[in-house]
Amino acid sequence: MPPTLNPIDLVSRVNRDVERSLLRARNGVRYVRGSHAPPVGTTPKEVVWRRGKAELWRYRNGAVRYGPPVLIVHSLVSRSYILDLRPGNSLVEHLTAAGLDVFLLDWGVPDELDADNDLARYLDFYLPRAVAAVRRESGAQEVTLAGYCLGGVLAALYAAAHKEAPVRNLVLMATPLNFDEMGAMVAFLREGRLDADALIDDTGNVPADVLYSGFYMQAPTTEIAQKATLLQNLWNDEFVSGFQVMAQWSRDHVPFPGALFRELVDEFVRKNVLMSGSIRVGGRTVNLADVRGNVLNAIAERDNVVPPAAVEPAMQLVGDPARREELRLPGGHVTFGTGRSAVKHTMPRLAGWIIDHSDECPEPKEW
Amino acid sequence: MSTRPLWLRAVHRLERAVGEPIESAVRTEVYFDLMSKATRTTGSAKRKLVGTSTSVLHVFNLPAGHDIRRMREQLSRMERRLNQLSEHVEELDPAHRHD
Repeated sequence: MPPTLNPIDLVSRVNRDVERSLLRARNGVRYVRGSHAPPVGTTPKEVVWRRGKAELWRYRNGAVRYGPPVLIVHSLVSRSYILDLRPGNSLVEHLTAAGLDVFLLDWGVPDELDADNDLARYLDFYLPRAVAAVRRESGAQEVTLAGYCLGGVLAALYAAAHKEAPVRNLVLMATPLNFDEMGAMVAFLREGRLDADALIDDTGNVPADVLYSGFYMQAPTTEIAQKATLLQNLWNDEFVSGFQVMAQWSRDHVPFPGALFRELVDEFVRKNVLMSGSIRVGGRTVNLADVRGNVLNAIAERDNVVPPAAVEPAMQLVGDPARREELRLPGGHVTFGTGRSAVKHTMPRLAGWIIDHSDECPEPKEW
Repeated sequence: MSTRPLWLRAVHRLERAVGEPIESAVRTEVYFDLMSKATRTTGSAKRKLVGTSTSVLHVFNLPAGHDIRRMREQLSRMERRLNQLSEHVEELDPAHRHD
């Protein structure tokens, strides 16, 4: 027998559906018009150092209870606001609220002036200066260096290349070392296919839309399912805001510096040189095993951009075996920045590990 | 029980039915080879077209996009050199040393 509805339930369901239809219409118009885009990167911050396009941001969000400060090195492929996407859904906000002094190194949007930036430029110029700026600003002797995606590769190589680097802790988040396991993302660049120069444009960089196409082609039809889910939840302001910021970020790539791209193709992709544990940079050999601090290798188990198999070798290659730890997280590539799993698992566990490997300040400091 | 309405479940099922074979196809060696060839061919055609239009414009003593690009490259090289020099000067100042 079909379930019967009493008249009160029926009226309340009709009311709810009418209300939702109105909200859907309002949010639909806003979405199509592109108005009411929610703000991103809202944790209060100040620029404390800049060089070229690179900027070092220091976040202000309550008292600092633990040291050393955390310097996040962002990837060179995407926008850094993924790590501070929305209030309540932000790694930066979580770390600062936990009492850490958080800095983020943002690379900006490369143009012709950055086309010559190679690996040595990042390892021997930008990173030492950014670390020095963090120490100067915070008054700390050491830093916790946390790299996301390619930013993790830069962070690990910097810590290995500079034996005097004041890195107490190195946190690698979705950091690819085994490029043979990078799958479709790099398949076009293997020997005999495209040379790096085929993708570099007149500015000397790889255009952002080439990078976007690479990500888009991983799952070209999922947008349809996502849009259908959006349509169903269009009445829900919170859902629409979340959808808008993620959609914005996933399309918002930046050009990749040409000189570094050539090195990435020749050394990382074709020779898979990081798996040997060392690489020639700036005329000397950099050994990943020379990293002196504690190392945390954070792996997102459902990451299809940097698959776990590409990340796992850090446990054999980076730093002192006795000081390596692995953290497996139930999420995808963006779990380091946003999502329910990020808030529930990733952020607390990352903050917990960093705090466990930090010192408590005798007195909480405001800055 | 799922709270998703029937139409949404149908769209998701349809998307997976179409999407999974496409995703498998764009991960095959054949696809990578084809796309590499297509990119090379497009690039080569574009270069030929640019070469032809540049020659035509030069006949009339007009600058082509290629000339503007070369000028921009030269300007960028100069600006990079200036930046390097200012960095060297800054490094001489002990207040700006990073180590």
